[in-house]
Amino acid sequence: MSNTDTLTNTAIPPTLRREALNENRVWQVYARRKYEEPLHEIGNVMADDPELAKVYARSIYDEFTWVEMVIVPRESILTVIAS
Amino acid sequence: MPTTLIDNAALFAVLSSLADNKQAIARRYAYWSNGAPALEAAVAAAAMTQDELGHARTLYPLLEDFAQGQANLVEVEPMTRTLRYHIRVLDTDFQGWSDFVATNFLLDTALTTFFEAAQDSTYEPLRARSRKIMQEERLHAMHAEGWVRRLARAGGKVRETLVASLMRQWDETLCWFGPQDDPVMQQLHQEGVIDATPDELRSRYLHKIMPILNGLEIDVPAAFNAETKRWSPSQPLPWQRWEATARRLT
Repeated sequence: MSNTDTLTNTAIPPTLRREALNENRVWQVYARRKYEEPLHEIGNVMADDPELAKVYARSIYDEFTWVEMVIVPRESILTVIAS
Repeated sequence: MPTTLIDNAALFAVLSSLADNKQAIARRYAYWSNGAPALEAAVAAAAMTQDELGHARTLYPLLEDFAQGQANLVEVEPMTRTLRYHIRVLDTDFQGWSDFVATNFLLDTALTTFFEAAQDSTYEPLRARSRKIMQEERLHAMHAEGWVRRLARAGGKVRETLVASLMRQWDETLCWFGPQDDPVMQQLHQEGVIDATPDELRSRYLHKIMPILNGLEIDVPAAFNAETKRWSPSQPLPWQRWEATARRLT
């Protein structure tokens, strides 16, 4: 059963629905303070909704006036050399 | 005391209501800065609390510039103000996270609709503040839409609770713009303080929120007119309970 089915199926017990409401998707947050700097990783946020992930990244990592910030879904990162 | 006082009761009344609503929103949000469903949501709630408080703090000082404000200085200072011109729903604590989400999605979006209508205002202090507030509100709108989607799609009691929270605020938020013949908003429109009448503001507001609610199949009393391409309430609003001075329902 997909996550969406779990969320929308009212026959499913409340405990499972609560679990389905938990955030599962991790986003790596990258930012830079100056245009001449490259983006570098500053942390991560958890949110299934990409728009909420953007809001969370903006509000959590607000210690500097960034000129650019992007988020990347962790699952899109491919390992080239494993640690 | 400012050298030249502005004598405009209509503008003074709306600025008072905007400031009180922002202040009350911040107070209610603050309770959820450590009670949100996830750490990320809690941090966002704290940031939004600060934003809303900031909006209130930039609006209250404007009241001192008015003859109506100088007539009773106790009521223009947030620390001593006893009048509460915020909507009735904000009189009491939120019953749950869904009330936070509903307030952000409905009331705060309604206030933003007003600020958008004032971005070219003839009253310069409001014009400047509107533009700044609109920038910050973009993030609040993303938060609101994301959480409305999330709670609605959870189904069952979670969805029911969200819908109940939305319905508790529905009428009063639509009423905040005033009846179409509201002398206060009509005067602001005629003076170029805002660029829309109450019905036009309501339509713009519904245009923002209805596509999201429709997409989630949340049934609310609003209808789209295909000919005019405008949204409007599909049921009469409870104007018999409207308190014009406080811009809220009894």
